[in-house]
Amino acid sequence: MAEARNPLLVSFAVWKAIFLREALDRLFDMRAAWFWLLVEPVLHIGFLVFIFTVIRMRTVGNADVAVWIIVGMLAFFLFRRTAVQVTYAVDSNRPLFTYRQVKPFDPVLARAVLEAFLMSIISIIIIGTAILLGHEAWPYDALLVLQANFGLWLFGIGYGLVASVLMELVPEMEHVLKILMLPLYLISGVILPLAAIPQPYLDLLLLNPIAHGLELARAGFFPYYHTVPGLSMEYLYAWGISGIFLGLILYRRFALQLVMR
Amino acid sequence: MIVIEDVYKRYKTDHGPGKWILQGVNLTIPRNVNVGLIGSNGAGKSTLLRIIGGIDHPNKGKVERRCRLSWPMGQGGLEPTLTGRQNAKFVCRLHGHQDDLPERLIFIQDFSGLKDAFDEPVNTYSSGMRSRLQFAMSLAFDFDIYISDEVTAAGDAAFRDKAAAAFKGMTNRAGLIMVAHSESTLRQFCEAGILLYQGKAQWFDKIEEAFKAYKDTVQK
Repeated sequence: MAEARNPLLVSFAVWKAIFLREALDRLFDMRAAWFWLLVEPVLHIGFLVFIFTVIRMRTVGNADVAVWIIVGMLAFFLFRRTAVQVTYAVDSNRPLFTYRQVKPFDPVLARAVLEAFLMSIISIIIIGTAILLGHEAWPYDALLVLQANFGLWLFGIGYGLVASVLMELVPEMEHVLKILMLPLYLISGVILPLAAIPQPYLDLLLLNPIAHGLELARAGFFPYYHTVPGLSMEYLYAWGISGIFLGLILYRRFALQLVMR
Repeated sequence: MIVIEDVYKRYKTDHGPGKWILQGVNLTIPRNVNVGLIGSNGAGKSTLLRIIGGIDHPNKGKVERRCRLSWPMGQGGLEPTLTGRQNAKFVCRLHGHQDDLPERLIFIQDFSGLKDAFDEPVNTYSSGMRSRLQFAMSLAFDFDIYISDEVTAAGDAAFRDKAAAAFKGMTNRAGLIMVAHSESTLRQFCEAGILLYQGKAQWFDKIEEAFKAYKDTVQK
């Protein structure tokens, strides 16, 4: 009788296999899929920078507007792509659950790590290009930038986990969540400087942890950036960690329903 | 050895839970025995096989697999956008064969007879090519017990002969749990039988006795 593999080894084998499979799918799924992964944020950034500079806005809160948009956009993309990829992780890997070794959480983990990996490369390319174009885009506190982005990534995973279970239990949630995603772009301060928003509305917007993450990432880039008062890294991480915790509990409880017919 | 304890299963339908398909199945399936599942259509043969294989899960009860057990042969999941080779690589990695990956890939490519099509995306395959790939993948690994749901019917005549020979060889060195609609196939491969009737399972050491019992239930 063949010896049973150590469960941990099985998990590592599964994670590796799914990671490589997901990477293939994400990068070469359609013609030049990898190109569009890069072009989507580039176009968003380019368009906004164009609009901002045309209306003669060169700085936002003491920061170069191009870099301001780049940092915010990349951080937001990191959150959104992780969230969306994780949301559909189980759904788009259904054929893989024929293999007993694959558990519902495995594709989630593979996708989240892959997304962080891809967004790091994309961010380096875009920020590097900005530096070559003469913008001052060296982060002045790189650790703060990483910390904020890591928090957004965690929150993306948590959001995705909870969203995928909700969608499985109540299929209509898919529409609701899609509708929710759209204004998120606006109210998280990707385009609109949060500092321009008066009280009491600012406090309402700051309930959104993504806004904290974006502003903190920017604060790490510019030493003299006028941030919004009341930013808190702890708040972002509290959302991220409790989101993941809630998501994992839901997976534990509903894992079979996610996979079972 | 596979131990099935008090397994209950019903599926969700559009109007609430469906009727019970398995109602308290208790079985111990030893290793190195080829056993056929017998029962009328809808008796839960495929369901039980999927539960044993760990693809589906019982509503109640549990299954313990104390050996290396295959996934249902010929039903391995394929990702349509990836090529046959990429899919095969994925399954090899899942089963911990990173080191001898090339040999296994050669075996799968050879046995499936896909030749150059092995490097084309699976969604360009015909259904015959798909099942040949799936069958080759399930033979590429050493399991203690294989499970098979109507697998011998795959592919064209030439492939069927090759598959039947490989299947026979495999059943000699490992255990097998199979579902097949043709009695002759079951007789050919299996010595023991399990009869599924009204949600319960009964073990017979001789498959002939299982067939006899099955005929009794049909006449009633």
